Amino acid sequence: MKTTKTRQERKHTPKVKNTGIYTRAFKQAFVKLDPRNMLKNPVMFLVWVGTIVTALVTIEPNLFGVTPDNNPRLFNGLITIILFLTLIFANFAEAVAEGRGKAQADSLRATKSDVVARKLLPDGSIQEVNSATLRRGDQIKVIAGDVIPADGEVIAGVASVDESAITGESAPVLKQPGTDIASSVTGGTRINSDELTIRVTSDPGQGFIDRMIALVEGASRTKTPNEIALTVLLAVLTQVFLVVIVTLPTVSVYVKSPVSIAVLIALLVALIPTTIGGLLSAIGIAGMDRVAQFNVIATSGRAVEACGDINTLVLDKTGTITLGNRMAEEFIPVKGHSLNEVAQISLASSIFDETPEGKSIVKLAESLGAKLSFNPTNAAGIEFSAKTRMSGIDLPNGVEIRKGAVDAIKGFVRSRNGQLTPELDAAYERVSKLGGTPLAICQNDDIYGVIYLKDIIKPGIKERFDQMRRMGIKTVMLTGDNRLTASVIAEEAGVDDFIAEATPEDKIEVIRSEQAQGKLVAMTGDGTNDAPALAQANVGVAMNSGTQAAKEAANMVDLDSDPTKLIDIVTIGKQLLITRGALTTFSLANDVAKYFAIIPAIFPGIGVNGLNIMGLASTQSAVLSALIYNALIIPALIPLALTGVKFRPLTADQLLQRNIFIYGLGGVIAPFIAIKIIDVFIVSIGLA
Amino acid sequence: MTISKGHRVPLGLFLLLCLNLLLAPAVQAATSVAESRFSAYTITLLGLVTLCLCVYLFVVIFQPERF
Repeated sequence: MKTTKTRQERKHTPKVKNTGIYTRAFKQAFVKLDPRNMLKNPVMFLVWVGTIVTALVTIEPNLFGVTPDNNPRLFNGLITIILFLTLIFANFAEAVAEGRGKAQADSLRATKSDVVARKLLPDGSIQEVNSATLRRGDQIKVIAGDVIPADGEVIAGVASVDESAITGESAPVLKQPGTDIASSVTGGTRINSDELTIRVTSDPGQGFIDRMIALVEGASRTKTPNEIALTVLLAVLTQVFLVVIVTLPTVSVYVKSPVSIAVLIALLVALIPTTIGGLLSAIGIAGMDRVAQFNVIATSGRAVEACGDINTLVLDKTGTITLGNRMAEEFIPVKGHSLNEVAQISLASSIFDETPEGKSIVKLAESLGAKLSFNPTNAAGIEFSAKTRMSGIDLPNGVEIRKGAVDAIKGFVRSRNGQLTPELDAAYERVSKLGGTPLAICQNDDIYGVIYLKDIIKPGIKERFDQMRRMGIKTVMLTGDNRLTASVIAEEAGVDDFIAEATPEDKIEVIRSEQAQGKLVAMTGDGTNDAPALAQANVGVAMNSGTQAAKEAANMVDLDSDPTKLIDIVTIGKQLLITRGALTTFSLANDVAKYFAIIPAIFPGIGVNGLNIMGLASTQSAVLSALIYNALIIPALIPLALTGVKFRPLTADQLLQRNIFIYGLGGVIAPFIAIKIIDVFIVSIGLA
Repeated sequence: MTISKGHRVPLGLFLLLCLNLLLAPAVQAATSVAESRFSAYTITLLGLVTLCLCVYLFVVIFQPERF
């Protein structure tokens, strides 16, 4: 039986070489010192300017007038080095976060190379051309062993395709025309057997792999609304502290306790929120990377962030909540027919049915000893259609055998002047109450019984929905099943709401109604008919096995085509927002200790020595200790910024209380201890 | 007259230094402690750089999407 993987097992990124990420990040940390890059981060830009000014006063301590410090060249030089390291650490954090995306882009780029394509000309002949010359609408032929030269839709042929280059999944995927889920192919993947005729759906440079490279590399990364809001907050705080520092020299002259420019810059850098300023972009990039580790490609950071604010999850029942393949569990005879007769008719009705359900009916019937009483080559198979909601077989002697939805079979029997029986309704109810799908079975005007198709709810799904509920997320299940079956599955799985006998149009309706109430909605889909709903949802996750239209409409693509991942993605979005909030709280709380460290030290003559509760040795040791702490806390928090704060399924209020306690109170206490230890160390080695 | 993007920074620096020439004597005259002429120029320049940072921060606050 198929088992549900744990979150950790689902998390993987295929074929990415992580070696050399830190070396590359270290080099990038220096490259990012370019002022055009630094300008994008207001907090760190001020540190950058401060570093230049302190470097100047290291070279000429009396540049801005006579300095009051002792041994100013050494002191200013130390401040310059610490400020420079603060910049390098912040740039390093961002570069490490970007590194993984770049490594993934490199591995994708390796799969992308120009190949010779067999282009089908209008007269039916084949011309060999370079894949770079293919345009949308061209038709190409690929045979076993070929690399598929461009994204496209299969229009003829059946073949197995190795998609491991992009999904990491080694098992080949069957591709055939006319189906929503198996007709789209991706350029760069390899055809393993047979041959396919493909209609190209993308121009050169705009294929799926090209877009993935641009995304994971961060080329199209723009700041998310949450990041923009936080940037404004940090700029306001920086502005306030800048004004405070600019006014300090006047006060210091008045109290006859002059302060050097280097100390003022040190105080400014200590007070502005450098911790969150330095880690802000790393947190965002790492959030996108965490999504990529689940083999999901997000089109923007905005989409990942929106996941954190999701209020409603719209989920398909089959494949997401249940295991997907419904299996025939039991035949229930009615109208006095024997079990063997029902098995016999069920076998006949399903002999042309290639679906997993059809095959399971054949298997169950054969296990009960049923055998075909006719030659299948002389019979005509009737395919299932959404309109008739039944399938079956027509025998040469005029006998019609049908299986399908109970309503549809009732209609069929009535149209042949047959009689219905209350036993049928009883069997239908019994199966529905068990959460199974009832299929009625008949021969001409005679109803034989009901097939019980068992739906298996994925293990652990109820607990995950419980977590969602505690987080305030509503889950809505959509299913084509009847209301009774849907209600039983909904009850067992623990979803908050369900829509039975749903059509694709119902998806978009439920999304619109939720959005009308001011909620943010996430959904998954794979078919062309899902595309409008995917575009309408705030977070639309398309399956990689789905159609091109679905992938283009969605803002995320799941390379493993596992709809359950939507729940993981929502968790990552929440984690991203929580991490950003926690580190902002920590960064701002740090200011308290820095005030107590620096203010009494730089104004020793005005009677505020009582504020020196840490008992720091001197002005210089106090300033250096606060700055060293300020610099070291950035690399210390890089692992937390990259992995994210551990996610707990709590309500927003509980999370806020918890974060204020851990990161707020912790942010106040930790620097007191750390600054004191650094001060003792500095004094012991005679630096100040 | 339109200024190309590549000329904005040198032009800005030039204007800053011109402004410095105008303001530095005022700074020197306003300080009670006798500062050297050189210090007056550097302090004025530092003040102008600080003012530019204030303007930059206001731009970040009011037009954050540009960054």
